[in-house]
Amino acid sequence: MNRISAHVTRIDQETQLTVVAFDAYGITLTMMGLGLNVAVEVGDAVVLGVKATHIALAKSLKGEISISNRLECDVEEVENGRLFSSVSLRFKETPLECITLRTSTERLTLAAGDKVSALIKASELSILEVRK
Amino acid sequence: MINLTVKKPLGMSKESLRLDVSMTIEPQSFVALAGSSGSGKTTLLRILAGLEHSEGEITVDGLPWLHGKKSLPPQKRGIGFVFQDYALFENMSVEQNLLYVNDDRAHAAVLLELTGLLELKRRYPATLSGGQKQRVALCRALMNRPKLLLLDEPLSALDPQMRIKLQHDILTLHKAFKTTTIMVSHDPSEIYRLSQRVIVLEQGHIVSDGTPAEVLLHASGSQKFTVEGELLDIIKADVIYIAVVAIGQQIVEVVLDREEATRFDVGETVQVATKAFAPSLMHSRKKKHLL
Repeated sequence: MNRISAHVTRIDQETQLTVVAFDAYGITLTMMGLGLNVAVEVGDAVVLGVKATHIALAKSLKGEISISNRLECDVEEVENGRLFSSVSLRFKETPLECITLRTSTERLTLAAGDKVSALIKASELSILEVRK
Repeated sequence: MINLTVKKPLGMSKESLRLDVSMTIEPQSFVALAGSSGSGKTTLLRILAGLEHSEGEITVDGLPWLHGKKSLPPQKRGIGFVFQDYALFENMSVEQNLLYVNDDRAHAAVLLELTGLLELKRRYPATLSGGQKQRVALCRALMNRPKLLLLDEPLSALDPQMRIKLQHDILTLHKAFKTTTIMVSHDPSEIYRLSQRVIVLEQGHIVSDGTPAEVLLHASGSQKFTVEGELLDIIKADVIYIAVVAIGQQIVEVVLDREEATRFDVGETVQVATKAFAPSLMHSRKKKHLL
């Protein structure tokens, strides 16, 4: 599970549904949730989690996209298997791993040193820890 | 409103285990008592019914049921009690079983109608199914229009389909008469379906008290869907890893990344968690066999 340190900046609730906004190194991240099991308040430091299989990658992304979370990353390593690829990324000081199809990394001609956007849907981001 | 504070040794040993609970129960509410066996649930029910003595205080709508050594006798408490075994009078018809408690034919007819028993009112218990007998026991417990209905695992002897039917009847009767009800149950779906509040006892103490969703939904962080299992294996496949986890009688697979594959040890107990957005519902393959 990828771990991203962030601060809570906003909490919106409607019945059981929750949308929480975070600041991670100056970037706004948004999470949708079905209620919150953890006591979280604006200002709390949190560790966010996202699975490696839930990150999409884009190169030279233009135009509007519905995915709320977009992290500009450097590619550090691409490990190709026969079917899948594991792409090691760095977002500021945070290492991330993205597992994607090998055909995708080949289509993007991904290599170490490339700049990519890591895209994470709000429904696939979760709070792993709250540090009061 | 019920206010109670009771203390009583549980079982034979006076020193080790004591029932020691305080609670307030709102009028017309439906409260489930859960917890492992020996945790004091049935003892608490019996103390409320006046069938067992204890130290402490019980006040119901301002009336003292237990105050120091003074204890209101069970028959003056206005309680309905339904046990796991039906405890019907075998030599009386369904209707006579009800009228024995209170000779109010109109009220008996209402109860029998609500639970679909009206046509069976002249039958004797020996000719009824387990579910029908328990419905009679439920109606009989409500004949005196009790202030408090106590249900001690009333459905645990019934098969799953009959349980659901009886749960529906209990809910219908609760909506019709709004009797404050305390039910001992081990069944999470039963607790969720029937009660507004669940109190969990362990070793004589309250360890959890909240709505069924708060108490029963297992969650980890903001992940809504959490089950515990044993990590059986981590298999490397291509550039990813697959964890094999035993959950109850089922084996499931979970895709891991490199860092996770190093962080977990085979044999350890793990939580399999996902957000509520990810799982999908499908019709059970078992369902076809049941219908």
